[in-house]
Amino acid sequence: MTPGKKRLSYSYYPGCSLHASGREYDISTRALFKALNVGLKEVPDWFCCGATPAHNVDELLSLSLCAKNLSLAEEVEGDLAVACAACFSRLKTTQHHLKEDDTKRKQVEVAIDGPAAINKPVKHILEILAREFGLARLEESVKKPLLGLKVASYYGCLLTRPPEVPELDDCEDPSIMEDLLRALGAEPVKWSHRMECCGANFTLSRPGVVLKLSNAILESARIAGADCIMVACPLCHGNLDIRQKEIKEAYGAPDSTLFGNIFGSELRGGSAPDQRDVPIFYVTQLAALAMGVASESLGFESVITDPKPLLRDKQLL
Amino acid sequence: MKNKLMHLSNETMNVGFVKKVEALSGSSVRRCFQCGKCSAGCPMSAFMEHPPNRVVRLLQLGQGQRILAGRSIWYCASCETCTTRCPNKVDLAAIMDALRKLSWDADGPSKESYVQLANRLFIENIRTYGRQYELRLGAAFNMKSGQFLKDLMLGPKLISKGKLKMFHSKNKNIADIEGIFKRIEEMRKKGEAL
Repeated sequence: MTPGKKRLSYSYYPGCSLHASGREYDISTRALFKALNVGLKEVPDWFCCGATPAHNVDELLSLSLCAKNLSLAEEVEGDLAVACAACFSRLKTTQHHLKEDDTKRKQVEVAIDGPAAINKPVKHILEILAREFGLARLEESVKKPLLGLKVASYYGCLLTRPPEVPELDDCEDPSIMEDLLRALGAEPVKWSHRMECCGANFTLSRPGVVLKLSNAILESARIAGADCIMVACPLCHGNLDIRQKEIKEAYGAPDSTLFGNIFGSELRGGSAPDQRDVPIFYVTQLAALAMGVASESLGFESVITDPKPLLRDKQLL
Repeated sequence: MKNKLMHLSNETMNVGFVKKVEALSGSSVRRCFQCGKCSAGCPMSAFMEHPPNRVVRLLQLGQGQRILAGRSIWYCASCETCTTRCPNKVDLAAIMDALRKLSWDADGPSKESYVQLANRLFIENIRTYGRQYELRLGAAFNMKSGQFLKDLMLGPKLISKGKLKMFHSKNKNIADIEGIFKRIEEMRKKGEAL
């Protein structure tokens, strides 16, 4: 860190999930920023961004909700930091559309009853860590490198697609998560499913979809030899973590009937199917752990697929 | 239906519908030359009776009603892979949004009611609370879809892990949200917005 360099400071839009099912993402983000001495101030009285359901059936509503949030964010200084990939995507999409399309902007301004504020830079936690704080500085700040931890970095859909909206990394072959992992001392694995959809919000309406798609992701990570998966989206985390047991029961459970017990392993070519638990970490949990933040303040108790055995095994707890 | 011979004429083609889709999505359907990249990369095509490239083809042929009658549009996950990979810059994800909106506005004849129900409850939650109240979302979905036992064991577990909050307070500026919903409704009534 160059002496006299201005301390980084951001306004912060956590989004609904980070106050509920993804609470450990919020907790670890705050802990990490504190450890890195980066300011983070929550936007007061923010609303739901509308996520996928709003733009699914009502684009104008989706744009208006995000425009309202962007104008609320104007009250807090600093670029807007967003942790949830879906909120990030919706806020950036809104800025993109309202910049390009005058008709839409005028309609949105009527809806929110005020001017649309679309110029505040919206930044995902990943780009703040890797680009603004910087990989080199991050590497210098590491107190407990994540040595020997093999991590499958999972991008999912909305961090990179469509390319003109998030402007985060390459839309087919990104590397920002892998770069970050290397800076933390971990070992990113090469694997096939890092950009495939996990089933997203079908977890409420059609969980069968999630079981199928998320199973493929977990399988691919196991085959690549990963110990765990790193995500940057609370919905991806929910699908891969909360539904992991159910996925196993649906797709991988060994046949427990008499026939299965006798012939099961023969049918599988003599080997038992790989049924390892794959703990799912938020990027901020792993980064904070490497910065020496106490594991008790990273929300691991809220995770369903227990990550503690793995962390103990790698001497990271 | 999908393999039945299709007769194209002024009577069987609804060009007005296609124009609405193009206006809503801001994307032309005519630019598509059926390379099929969208369907090849679509994680959800296995669940659809019309994969993405065929949805565009049906639009080109003025067969919007065939799309709305099926469940394809409701099984799109909005992952944006199609839009990202289209060599002709057809914004298929936006076209899917437009189709869902038209089906939604017409109180859609679609077979897929669960996804629509989930969307409706999600938006209702925003209007009532300002932010998502996940416990209510799940409980209301189970009640209204008649799947009383769905994820029954998951609820208490998530509550004990602190992932589901039992109680949820409304935003104190909730009147602003109601204003947004009202003004959008008014604009639409006056024909000032789609």
